[in-house]
Amino acid sequence: MLIKKVLILLPVIIFVLLLQSFFWVPTYDEQVRGNPLRLEEFIIAAIGDARILNPILSADSSSSTIEAQVFDGLIDRDEELKFRGRLAAGWKIYEEVYFYFNPKAAVNGRIISGPETIRALLSQKDNITDVAIIPPQKGETDIQIAGPDTNGDGFPDPINLKVRFNAPHRFKVTLREVDQDFFTKMESVLGKGYFKTFQASDHVRIITEGHEDKLSAVAAQVLPATEHNPVIIFDLRKGVKFHDGHEFDSGDVKFTYEAIIDPKNLSPRVPDYEPVKYLEVIDRYKVKVVYKRLYFPAFGTWGMGMLPEHLLNPGAIKREAEAKGEDPAGFTLRDSGFNRHPVGTGPFVFREWKSDQYIVLDRHEDYWEGAPNYRSYTYRIVPDLLTQEMEFYGGAIDSYGVQPHQVERLKDDPAYQNFSGLSFGYTYIGYNMRRELFKDKRVRKALGMAIDTDKIIRYVMYDQAERITGPFVKQTDYYDRGIQPPPYDPEGALELLREAGWVRNSEGWLEKDGKRFAFTLITNGGNDLRKSILTIAQDAWKKIGIDVKTDIVEWSVFIGRHVNTGNFDALILGWSMGIDPDLYQIWHSSQSNQNQLNFVGFNNKEADDLIVKIRQEYDHDKQVEYCHRLHRIIADEQPYTFLYVGKWTAVLDRKIVIKEALPSGEEEIRKITPTRTGNYSFYFNKWIKLAENPVFEMER
Amino acid sequence: MFSFTVRSFFQKLVTLFFISIISFLVVYLAPGEPSQIDPLNPKFTAEDLQRFRQEFNLDKPLQEQYYLYYKNLFTGQLKSWKDNQPVLGKIYERFKNSLWLFIVGTLITWCLSFPVGIHAAIRRRSFFDRSTTFLAYVLISIPSFFFAYILIIFVVKTFNIPVIGMQTFGMSGAAGIYQVMDRVWHLVLPSILGALGGIALLSRYVRAQMLEVIHQDYIRTARAKGLSEDQVYYRHGFRNALLPFVTMFGLILPGLIGGSVIIESIFAWPGMGRMGYEAILARDYPIILTINFMAAVLVLIGTFISDLLYMVVDPRIRL
Repeated sequence: MLIKKVLILLPVIIFVLLLQSFFWVPTYDEQVRGNPLRLEEFIIAAIGDARILNPILSADSSSSTIEAQVFDGLIDRDEELKFRGRLAAGWKIYEEVYFYFNPKAAVNGRIISGPETIRALLSQKDNITDVAIIPPQKGETDIQIAGPDTNGDGFPDPINLKVRFNAPHRFKVTLREVDQDFFTKMESVLGKGYFKTFQASDHVRIITEGHEDKLSAVAAQVLPATEHNPVIIFDLRKGVKFHDGHEFDSGDVKFTYEAIIDPKNLSPRVPDYEPVKYLEVIDRYKVKVVYKRLYFPAFGTWGMGMLPEHLLNPGAIKREAEAKGEDPAGFTLRDSGFNRHPVGTGPFVFREWKSDQYIVLDRHEDYWEGAPNYRSYTYRIVPDLLTQEMEFYGGAIDSYGVQPHQVERLKDDPAYQNFSGLSFGYTYIGYNMRRELFKDKRVRKALGMAIDTDKIIRYVMYDQAERITGPFVKQTDYYDRGIQPPPYDPEGALELLREAGWVRNSEGWLEKDGKRFAFTLITNGGNDLRKSILTIAQDAWKKIGIDVKTDIVEWSVFIGRHVNTGNFDALILGWSMGIDPDLYQIWHSSQSNQNQLNFVGFNNKEADDLIVKIRQEYDHDKQVEYCHRLHRIIADEQPYTFLYVGKWTAVLDRKIVIKEALPSGEEEIRKITPTRTGNYSFYFNKWIKLAENPVFEMER
Repeated sequence: MFSFTVRSFFQKLVTLFFISIISFLVVYLAPGEPSQIDPLNPKFTAEDLQRFRQEFNLDKPLQEQYYLYYKNLFTGQLKSWKDNQPVLGKIYERFKNSLWLFIVGTLITWCLSFPVGIHAAIRRRSFFDRSTTFLAYVLISIPSFFFAYILIIFVVKTFNIPVIGMQTFGMSGAAGIYQVMDRVWHLVLPSILGALGGIALLSRYVRAQMLEVIHQDYIRTARAKGLSEDQVYYRHGFRNALLPFVTMFGLILPGLIGGSVIIESIFAWPGMGRMGYEAILARDYPIILTINFMAAVLVLIGTFISDLLYMVVDPRIRL
């Protein structure tokens, strides 16, 4: 019977055909034995693919990982998290301050008739290197101010005004070092209120009719009485080559900056560069950046990868659009093929990108700091954690984002080495301080004291976390290690609550003026850790008589309906932080409106002052001092119950070591050790895999 | 026949129009916004976000967005929000990868289900029948990702052989035949896993159909004529039992586009299902909507093919 035979034979044939392929595939051992080059390849696995390989356009971690290998910034951070030069060989920071001659102010009791006297007075001060007088200027200018929102899009409508000004003499004072207190100090020379009494409105007239009432605001904008302009001069490294052999110079820095601020390119980095007043090329290897105001965190943004101007300038983009047959008018940097085939100055050269499969980089033989030891760098996309682990066992990947419980399995295996360190972020319970319930800091402190955070760390985080007491990165010196977290003490918590007026009623619930202490604690869905903390907190608070309801909300609803609108009692959330100690967006009282990040409504005058001072301070020691004070205030106010900072973990094959050529010509092999701040891959370019497991002196 | 084709074509066009509206609304009205408009990036000002909304046309009224979206789709200008690559190109790239999984998976499903189902029906209540029934229920009730993990761990630990992705990493230097076989090997596990659920369902279905048919009068007639058992079952029984499966054949077409999200994710297979899933996570509306739209088109084409096939195999049916 033919049909019967077909029905039986067909599946058999198919399975034989499929399964015989097994014998053609080499096992991992054979792969490496027959392929010694594998030792010079580094393969790393990640869950998600990169989006766009252009440092000024990308905002995801996969893209940044690749960009960090392909591109170099002007600066980056060293082992101690201090800035060091990369494409910039060095830099100088100083300041230019401006103020207007105030004809009405009295200096030392006398009205000064001309600006020369003031120049003479200032020139004696030692932080001042130069005082220049800008002659009076007349003119007209257009200015845009924010008016009422008439079209209802939630943004104020701009009003364009024509303004005529007649500015008096202006002083441009160059300071040796940035000094945010310059004008306060100068009041001792020029008299108290010299700067404040300058009436800009005396020198400005609004020509556009019907807006005379806005004169003082407009005048202050056109002729600001005082202005701080910090200046950075970068000295670029000479002889650095892009991967295509073109030399890197100041034109590329200028181009990168301009590409970011060009609104056509929709760069997510625009906010970083908004404080820049202008960028000027001094010569081929010297760039001057002038800022509109004191803003220290702006310095760190020069870690941004530098783009090759010669490949991306408007002419090149236009040629590319024409070659692709697209309309050059609508074709921007975003559409360029460069974003899938980047060219930078970094230690690795881009070779190939297969979407959702892998990205391969080759080493840059002419890298200015010396070529890396690894011949190639491969970024594999394996979206599943368990499969990543399987591939790691087999040696098909050298590194992956290992989970704490996976580290447990590998910890005692002599074939592997593992690392862990603190990450830049923390998890907290935030209280909505606009609500009556949480206005009293004793209540907030008591709530924190009722939760046993150490147990959360032990049982929820498998000890892969540490306690944290404030909003700074724990391994930096901005963080004050002297501050102790509130102790776990339910009795003490009840005591504090009693002081605040909350007493237990006959049923055991806390009550004040006949009202029960009840609120809702929420967090976002999809995060099992937060879910566990939610339950633990609810239970801990129930034990001291607080009636807590909990809710888990889908992320977008959580943000849109609760966080952004301030419609919540208490929530569990986490912040990931930058190293810079700038807390403005999250803690300044001006940022507590809808859609802003100070959604708990933290409002403390002294803290506000410190937050502004920190971002304006260019001196590290002073910054640290202000940060410690701010840290103390926040720890005292307890707007959040700070829970923990998580640890990252990493596992590598033990055969991977640091290999470095000594000046004597010999090669030294060292074990990989993390830096003080916990960065184990800091010397990545010197890593290499050995064929045999190495034995180090220390281990014997 | 011709009038049916024309009528059905226009009916399906109308259906497609409504599907396009509904799927558009579902995607656009769902809470959350594209990840570019990340509300928790502290440095973004409202104006910056507004620029992104403008670029993605999100500030326009819904009907205009709908028009712009489909206009761009049909003129081939639609670009993914994630990386500015043309959507159709991206989908085609992935389609080629998913196609292999689909073909091999379907082949395994259909080739295995029929013999198993028929044998179980003929030997009803035998040990074979009962064990396949048991197995089918096991396969249906245990999720495929679980099997996938077990199988991967088993294969990797026992044979020390790679199974993840579309090919072994670092094989690019090997001879042609090795590379082909390597790719075949990487197809084996995911396609078998993808087929398991289908085999369990389809073999049950075949069994039921076969059982129904062999109790018909014409089977008794065939037996009475003195035909051999094989001839009775395979010529008279099987052919008639086959009818409903002809229609099913048209309906598997949409599976092409859906791919298998879970299997593709676990095996790091760069296919359609995984792309769709990742697009949903990133709220990359152009990709989500296009995949959705193509799936709808395939469903409609599938039903149309089923109708036609049914007419071909069963002369009693007139449309």
